[in-house]
Amino acid sequence: MEKEFTPKIVGFCCNWCTYAAADLAGTSKLKMPSSLAVIRVMCSSRIDPTLILRAFLRGADGVLLAGCHPGDCHYEKGNYYARRRFVLLKSVVETLGLDSERLQLSWIGASEGPRFQQVVTKFTEKIKKMGPNPMLEKISL
Amino acid sequence: MRARALIYPAGDKMKEKIGVYVCECGPNIADNVDIDKVIEVISALPEVAVVERHKLMCSEDGKKFLKESIQKNELTRVVVAACSPKQHEATFMKVCESAGINPYLFQLTNIREQCAWIIADKAEATERTIRYIRAALRRVPYQNALEKKEIEAKPDVIVIGGGIAGLSASLLLACGDRKVYLIEKANTLGGKVKELDKLLPRMESSSNIISQKIKEVENNKDIEVYTNSEVTEVLGFLGNFVAKVKTNEDKELELKIGAVVVATGFGMLDIKQIPRYGYGKYDNVYTALEFEKMNTEGKILLKNGKSPKSIGIIHCVGREERGYCSGVCCTYCLKFANYIKSKLPNAKVFEFYQELSIPGKAYQKFYEDTKAKGVDFIRSQDIEITEQKGTLTVNYKAETQTLEPQNVDMIVLAPAIEPNSDADRIAEMLKISQGDGGFFQEEHPKLAPVSTSMEGIFIVGCAQGPRNIPESIVQAQAVAGKIFSSLIPGKKLEPEVKTSEIFEALCIGCQACLTVCTYGAIYFDEMKRVCVVNEVLCRGCGNCVGSCLSGAISTKHFTTIQLHQEVVEALR
Repeated sequence: MEKEFTPKIVGFCCNWCTYAAADLAGTSKLKMPSSLAVIRVMCSSRIDPTLILRAFLRGADGVLLAGCHPGDCHYEKGNYYARRRFVLLKSVVETLGLDSERLQLSWIGASEGPRFQQVVTKFTEKIKKMGPNPMLEKISL
Repeated sequence: MRARALIYPAGDKMKEKIGVYVCECGPNIADNVDIDKVIEVISALPEVAVVERHKLMCSEDGKKFLKESIQKNELTRVVVAACSPKQHEATFMKVCESAGINPYLFQLTNIREQCAWIIADKAEATERTIRYIRAALRRVPYQNALEKKEIEAKPDVIVIGGGIAGLSASLLLACGDRKVYLIEKANTLGGKVKELDKLLPRMESSSNIISQKIKEVENNKDIEVYTNSEVTEVLGFLGNFVAKVKTNEDKELELKIGAVVVATGFGMLDIKQIPRYGYGKYDNVYTALEFEKMNTEGKILLKNGKSPKSIGIIHCVGREERGYCSGVCCTYCLKFANYIKSKLPNAKVFEFYQELSIPGKAYQKFYEDTKAKGVDFIRSQDIEITEQKGTLTVNYKAETQTLEPQNVDMIVLAPAIEPNSDADRIAEMLKISQGDGGFFQEEHPKLAPVSTSMEGIFIVGCAQGPRNIPESIVQAQAVAGKIFSSLIPGKKLEPEVKTSEIFEALCIGCQACLTVCTYGAIYFDEMKRVCVVNEVLCRGCGNCVGSCLSGAISTKHFTTIQLHQEVVEALR
């Protein structure tokens, strides 16, 4: 029997909102798939597009970039910059032959533990349907 | 890639002695993670020198155990697998420091909130725990020792604006060991409060209260007052600002201060912009401040010298146009009704309001008392004022139907509160942002309402948004508290350690980073044609790294190579 596909997802989470939401999901014992590896950064704007591309090149089936809601950024407007870069990166990802739906941006506030659970669960399901990252077959690192 | 190798010399990462410490967190982690299995797998990794477990690593016993083990094994790097870094990162960093290892050579990986508590299946949670520890293990050799810095700080403060907020902040700040420079653009202190007749709800004399404050300020030997003066330049950062002040004798003063308090107050919407109110076109249509002036002078009179028999007070002038409620108008319009009823008991008073905004413990009673004096409250919208043969008419709608217009002798308009006309210049000078309506933007609307994105620059009173007097005083006192706790005379400051740095050799001088920095922490070196980080101003968000096209910028402790290693291992 073929083994069920478990996606590998990298989640870049900002320290102040989304990481706090992930903690809250934890303390609330909200259950979710184990697909996501959380990488803590201080602000979503820290993520330069190459880091996301590196994750895809290294076999990530999906990448989640998550930060504070617009207007709530701890650094005032970092998330707006993150959003602009994200939009641009979506088209770059497409030119690499990847479905840009594999890259998701979500705003998850510090008090939104249940939303963190929901985003992780839904994104995992979506990636599951899309199947493994096809890049892996084309390139080898 | 070759250039990157220059910046991040690979070194011999295998020479590092890394210890891994797994915390059981009582039953919290141990119940849903097979710690024996974790230890077995991690011990087998070649880069690991020692793996230990403890029941409760954050306990006194646990910290002692950790410290002794680090020393006994002569570790050079430490990974602790326990709870969220938000909970105990600082705790374990201290332990590392006491064990003689730089606290930035340690990584806390979160296997409680991120593994044990959210993954239902124990085997999966265990697998994920191993993955997280491996990611931390791969990251930690690339971490660099970071040193705390200390800089001298000046405790003195400059306060821009001598209204009620500026006066209150100055008085509180100047209580002994720091000097306050109070800079006022007008020729006297007191601001807008000085233009008011009485203060609600107790209807005390405004001039008594404000002149008392002004006297206290003028008599305080730690406060230097400069009227008719303007701040023209502020450079520097928390603890070390240099401000230039142009004084009334046209002299330029240079002040060295540690913090800046912006108390520049407000202006009023120019109602001529909204012609339907008839201001400037018809006689006997006044603004709120003009009406205050009439009352301080003692008499409410029409242009022809007679007393008005009826007065309409119009709330919410410009609320829709400006897009916010000024918050203070409803209450001062009630006060106006009281002015009229005490001076002209027989005059009819009509309050045309859209929504009554009278929160707070004292104002409901004030409203009821005012209403009981025979004041008519008319809920109205789409107000238009017309005039015929000297009689003013208020045309309005109520909910959906148009009602009979109301004739009055005099109209008082309550215009929206706007930022001071100086706000744009001041924002640019101080490099602080302006938010909704042009008011100065606070660092956080809920959690940091009086600080700005520039550390050491504070905003109080109406400079930050429409405020009443007690709220402005509360803010002034909050700022004093902020300054007391951050600028203690004789104490040095410890700026953020995890700042960005720019590698000269890679920087192409495009200045993209400079434009995205919220804190003004990056400047352009004209000689070298490269950008440079002012580490004292940098907060370490990393936005500049994301903006850099040439890969010349790095944020300490969150470098690209560190994050890359973590990602690669998490995906393996």
